[in-house]
Amino acid sequence: MSTHVNAPTPTPAPAPVAAPAMPASTFLRRHWAWLAMLVLMLVLPWLFYDHARGRHSGFAITLMSEMALMAVFALSYNMLMGQAGLLSFGHAILFGIGAYSVAHTLNWIKASGVPIPVELMPLVGGIGGLVCGILAGYVATKQRATAFAMITMGIGELLTAAALMFMTFFGGEGGITTDRVTDTSIFGIPYTRPIQVYYLLVAWAIIAAVLMYLQTQTPLGRMANATRDNYERTQFVGYDPRVIRYWQFILAGFFAGIAGGMYCLVYEIVTFDTLAAVKSANALLATYIGGAVGFFGPVMGAVVVVGMQSGVSLHTSAWLLYLGVIFIAMVMFAPGGLLGLVANHIPIARMGRLGELAVPYARISLPTALASAGFILFVELVTHQTIGASQGKKFALLGQPIDPGSTIVWVASLVAMLVGTLWLRREGSFFMARWNALIEDAKARGIMS
Amino acid sequence: MIEAAIQLTDVRKSFGRTEIIRGVNLTIPKGQRHAIIGPNGAGKTTLFNLISGRFPVSSGSITLNGQNTAGLAPQQINHLGLSRSFQITSIFPRMTVFENIRCGLLWSRGHKYSFWSLLGMQRSLNEEAEQLLERLNLHNRRHVYAGLLSYAEQRALEIGITIAGGADVILLDEPTAGMSHSETDYAQQMIRTVSEGKTLIMVEHDMSVVFSLADVITVLVYGEVIASDAPANIRSNRAVQQAYLGEEAA
Amino acid sequence: MEVFVVSLLNGLVYGMLLFMLASGLTLIFSMMGVLNFAHASAYMLGAYFAYTLSLYLGFWIALIVAPIVCGLIGAAIEMWGLRRVHKNGHIAELLFTFGVALIIEKVVQMTWGLIAVPYRIPEGLNFPLFDLWGTQFPAYRAFMLLISALMFLSIWLGLTRTRIGLVIQAALTHPDMVGALGHNVPRVFTLVFAAGTALAGLAGVIGGNYRVTEPGMAFSMGPIVFVVVVFGGLGSLTGCFIASILMGLIQTFAVVLDYSLADLLEVFGFIVTKATPGSEFLMVTLPRIAALLPFILLVLILVFRPRGLMGTRDT
Repeated sequence: MSTHVNAPTPTPAPAPVAAPAMPASTFLRRHWAWLAMLVLMLVLPWLFYDHARGRHSGFAITLMSEMALMAVFALSYNMLMGQAGLLSFGHAILFGIGAYSVAHTLNWIKASGVPIPVELMPLVGGIGGLVCGILAGYVATKQRATAFAMITMGIGELLTAAALMFMTFFGGEGGITTDRVTDTSIFGIPYTRPIQVYYLLVAWAIIAAVLMYLQTQTPLGRMANATRDNYERTQFVGYDPRVIRYWQFILAGFFAGIAGGMYCLVYEIVTFDTLAAVKSANALLATYIGGAVGFFGPVMGAVVVVGMQSGVSLHTSAWLLYLGVIFIAMVMFAPGGLLGLVANHIPIARMGRLGELAVPYARISLPTALASAGFILFVELVTHQTIGASQGKKFALLGQPIDPGSTIVWVASLVAMLVGTLWLRREGSFFMARWNALIEDAKARGIMS
Repeated sequence: MIEAAIQLTDVRKSFGRTEIIRGVNLTIPKGQRHAIIGPNGAGKTTLFNLISGRFPVSSGSITLNGQNTAGLAPQQINHLGLSRSFQITSIFPRMTVFENIRCGLLWSRGHKYSFWSLLGMQRSLNEEAEQLLERLNLHNRRHVYAGLLSYAEQRALEIGITIAGGADVILLDEPTAGMSHSETDYAQQMIRTVSEGKTLIMVEHDMSVVFSLADVITVLVYGEVIASDAPANIRSNRAVQQAYLGEEAA
Repeated sequence: MEVFVVSLLNGLVYGMLLFMLASGLTLIFSMMGVLNFAHASAYMLGAYFAYTLSLYLGFWIALIVAPIVCGLIGAAIEMWGLRRVHKNGHIAELLFTFGVALIIEKVVQMTWGLIAVPYRIPEGLNFPLFDLWGTQFPAYRAFMLLISALMFLSIWLGLTRTRIGLVIQAALTHPDMVGALGHNVPRVFTLVFAAGTALAGLAGVIGGNYRVTEPGMAFSMGPIVFVVVVFGGLGSLTGCFIASILMGLIQTFAVVLDYSLADLLEVFGFIVTKATPGSEFLMVTLPRIAALLPFILLVLILVFRPRGLMGTRDT
């Protein structure tokens, strides 16, 4: 066999070698997901172009910008959760410090005239997050799982409260305002219009995502997975798991800081809520709902969370409740998140028997729709009683005004929930029977990887 | 004077008030194939845990190639040239078989905590991992997630990760536990080949494996060494027969 | 002097309230390894239930019924939710309780509205008990002390004098062994979870009208209770008690001690002015950072002594 541990053959630490030239078709086939996403991100704004006014819908552009930066934030969170098995409740501090760093830098550029390109601001955010990661990570990663979670929560609460108190760096309750229009663009773009900021964000999102993906293919990235799978075995192949975790935390901080910088560019104001527990919870929800295993999950989750937070919230104040219910349902029944659910279908698709699920899916979609409709109606009715009515809102279902006082509506919602749930249980067992049969077949044929 | 691979001097270990290891003295020279046998609860796995740094000794000392291992973390002892397998399979279940082996190779091939080199580019590293997989007979399973392997395949992978780093002192904790006859034979052959020129310390219950592989056998009963000798002498040792082997084996 | 005694008493009251919450959490955490994020939510539910119940049935009925309802909810969560998630590991359990806490907060907002509800001290207890150098000590606080002391006593008796109590004690430090010995561990778990939740609910009943009853109370009280649990150490109720009282005293005294680091430096002759670097940090007074102190403590404890005051196991 091979060499002795005491005198390893010195392997020159290689610089990232450029991949040997690959035929275009192979490149397309292997990286289709990336390319599809890039195209989608580039084209999407034009779906919301208001031809009458000759510009894009401001709301849509802001929404998409938020999705882009949230995706980077969630991906950085997954470096800890899915890759290293670390549950952090204070990830937002890395995001927030990044955002504050950019705000101060922009103000400094304005004041001193130093020509730092505004395009590099997310990098400044990344450096802020990196420094914060070095400091906080040192303390946090010394601990095992639960203690780690609590220290991150404690540091998060600490910094949030400090941000409210101290004026110099955090600006107290009012936060720090800034202006991204600095005349220092290296492309000569003024960034006065949201669409310009959006495309800058897309560029940074792609760069950050690609870097994070490549990191999973490095020795550190792989050993982070190993630490997640088996802490002890990691030690017995020669690694200190705490050092691995520390590095992973620092790198996650860098990328979270980039997301924070992106945030500052969009909103031009940074307040304590960029550090707060709610922000950290958003990262958690996005990553978990999207799927912590597998690379793209958090991106999907970010789209869902932002969609609900900024989209659904316009129609109902109970959006967070729905998000919470989805989250709990995932924790209990689909721990792999949305991506996991999709991935579960792959063995069946490989067998070419995906069509056999069409009928079962149709059969469970009806009771699910009924139960959900009943639940949503009930929740909205209750919310309207306590919150909506005092705000003077009228209750309307699909445009039809409904009197929330009438008993019929209440009874209807409860009946729908009850009937829907019972029906779902029956259809659910039928579905699971067909599903399990298909999976068993896949296993027998050795298709399960 | 050539230093021993492993030297235990009056090693004692207590958990709370229960003394598990009661004063073990043992010298294992380099290159020896050494088996530790004994009834259940004798403390064999605890001894392994002490040698590999998983637990600290209560008193006494352990040296590895002449160096005292007191207070060293498991990875530090690993760097000094010792590697171990576990009685309860300890692999990386959510990584592929190939990745598992590669993880075992990374540190010794100098990669350490690098996040700037891509593993896909490391040709010699990947080739070595492939070769090791061939020897373990796991090559056609290399893209399977380790958690989905059969028990015997996982045991083979366990041994593979243990030896991947090229340590020259190898501790195997019941490597053939739960294996069928043919699987045991294959495992035995593999253990013989991979331990060529290295120091092997093995805890085993399968006596055929022990007697065919070991140069020296130590018998551990209730945390004490009652005999440590060549196989033939162990077989005929009265005390060992009474405590462990039973009259028929003589 | 009067400030000292008054603060001492108030600190004790607050500390006992914390203990009611932290003891249940310690039990659950030590036995089941689950950091129950929804524990403070039970506190909130207890307060809200008591508010609604006392509107129709009076405070004293609420005092008994509300904790029971909370306990039943806890049992339901454990049996139908937590147990199913248990096989997915500790992180999944943590996330589950986190999701439950989220949902409970929203449900409370939905049912009782966004602003605080007027949950008041019952008239029967709303009188000054005695005078201390001109400040009155309300009877209700004495009542709180009484309830929490009674609760502590009954836990202590229950754990040390009953069979199930001994099983629980054993499971606190050696949960796996207890299962191996043949005890119905799932049932014990449900019992402990329900009891812990009921206790939190009771704390809510008597604490909700002492402090404010509003939908954010779970997420503001929760982290402090975690700090107490970690501070006191796993597997030790006595440690939890000491930590609770200490925390209560620290937070209460911090509010009345109007000093800052700059004042301390002044004692050594070092004058801090607005121009001094870091002056903002040095001049912040203790009352302003009173809310921060638990978290500073948490970080310090986890860095220097992860076991906590009297823990028998590492966190």
